Amino acid sequence: MTLLLKAENISFKTDKNKDILKDISFELSQGNILGIAGESGSGKTTLGKILAGLLVPTSGQIILNKPLDWQKTRVSPVQILFQNNGEILNPFRRIDSVVREGVKLRFGKNADSYKRAEEIFDSLNFDKSLRKRKGFELSGGEQQRGALARLLAVEPEILILDEPFSAQDPDSQLTFLELFKKINREKGTTMICISHNLKILQELCSYVLIMYKGAVVESGDCKTLFGSPVHPYTKFLFKAENYKLTYDEFIAMRT
Amino acid sequence: MKLSVNIKELRLSTSTGDRELLHDVNFSLEENNIYSILGKNGCGKSTLIRSFSGLNDRKFCLIAGLILADNIDIITASVEELTTLRKDKIKYVFQDAANSFDPLRKLDYYFKRFKIDQSKSEELLKYFLLPSLKELGEMYPYELSGGMAQRLCFVIALLMEPELLILDEPTSGIDPAIANLFLLKIKEFAAGGKKTILLVTQDINFAKSLGGFIAHISEGTLSPFIGSAEYFSSDNVLFKKGDL
Repeated sequence: MTLLLKAENISFKTDKNKDILKDISFELSQGNILGIAGESGSGKTTLGKILAGLLVPTSGQIILNKPLDWQKTRVSPVQILFQNNGEILNPFRRIDSVVREGVKLRFGKNADSYKRAEEIFDSLNFDKSLRKRKGFELSGGEQQRGALARLLAVEPEILILDEPFSAQDPDSQLTFLELFKKINREKGTTMICISHNLKILQELCSYVLIMYKGAVVESGDCKTLFGSPVHPYTKFLFKAENYKLTYDEFIAMRT
Repeated sequence: MKLSVNIKELRLSTSTGDRELLHDVNFSLEENNIYSILGKNGCGKSTLIRSFSGLNDRKFCLIAGLILADNIDIITASVEELTTLRKDKIKYVFQDAANSFDPLRKLDYYFKRFKIDQSKSEELLKYFLLPSLKELGEMYPYELSGGMAQRLCFVIALLMEPELLILDEPTSGIDPAIANLFLLKIKEFAAGGKKTILLVTQDINFAKSLGGFIAHISEGTLSPFIGSAEYFSSDNVLFKKGDL
């Protein structure tokens, strides 16, 4: 498989010299789905932003094997779906126009943006009646789908999903999970999914990184890692998810 | 539980009467027990438990039937009766806990207002990794994160030692590890003598780990409460949800 992205010794510090990420390295091949797990504050989102090029690491580098046709465009081949889409979608613009704009940005003014936009909406099961609505007229889940449509408009090489399941009930989580699998299967889009939900990552990803206090404490292919976790923190996360933690175990991991 | 709660033929519908949310709900709550209600978004879980403390806005929701708490019918109770019940016996923790606080008051108001034992407060705040009473008391609600607000609401409710504690989605939006603390405390509270907990959740694992009695709402009907082990056994045809 072609190597698409390589992260080498990524570290990130705040202005006050606080370590947010410590020496993170991994590789990602084309078509794979990588999971990043960990609790709030473990540095998952910061890592996502660095991978998407929104933050510059304090040290280390990201090497991206950009296919040739990306070099002519200013659009980033790495797109990120944020947690709070309501704040990101323009509330006063129609969602179909936002998506068409994405198509033109990537494929030029002559691209058949109407056709492409409709195809993308269809693939996301985005209801026809919603396509003409403005950002503020959509519910939280619809906004998330809308934002996803905009990202897919540029046909990204890598799609980063930051806690895509956090604000959804179990049924919608399943629907979204199937949707991401479908995009990966049909478009071959490489994905990085950031989530604290181990069960969902297990369903979606082929490879997973476990993050604790800014460092990767364990990584491996999903089946092996979830089958027999080694690091105490990974075991802690599993116990927490299954409601088997004692108070002492909880405190031990927090101090 | 000194408080007895009986629900008889409860029906909830929209104020226009064209949509019935729940029909014929019948059950009673016993002391030292945990009752969990499962159900999807929008099935009426919160509306149901809000009615036990008389919190539904009658402009939007019509209620018929009987909800007897200590032989007072909550549906027809006077404001004074409801205030007494809410003050002394029934505590309700909302899902959007951050909005439960008065934004213009410092948080020490809640501890002074209810004359809560200080050492007990400190102990519980520490348990839930919240700042000490002195530090917290000087803070305004906007300084709390969503998770902190949720923990603090739960702490205050526990400190009041209600006979019936009602929790609306206690684990939504919080880290799984912190959710474990809620689980442990809820169990401890229910076992601590003559207390009852009624909660609604979508978190099947959480309900399963709590034990007690489980029921679910589907298509406007509340299933009978049955023991957790029996509810989650493979023989129970009522439980068909995909456990992701």
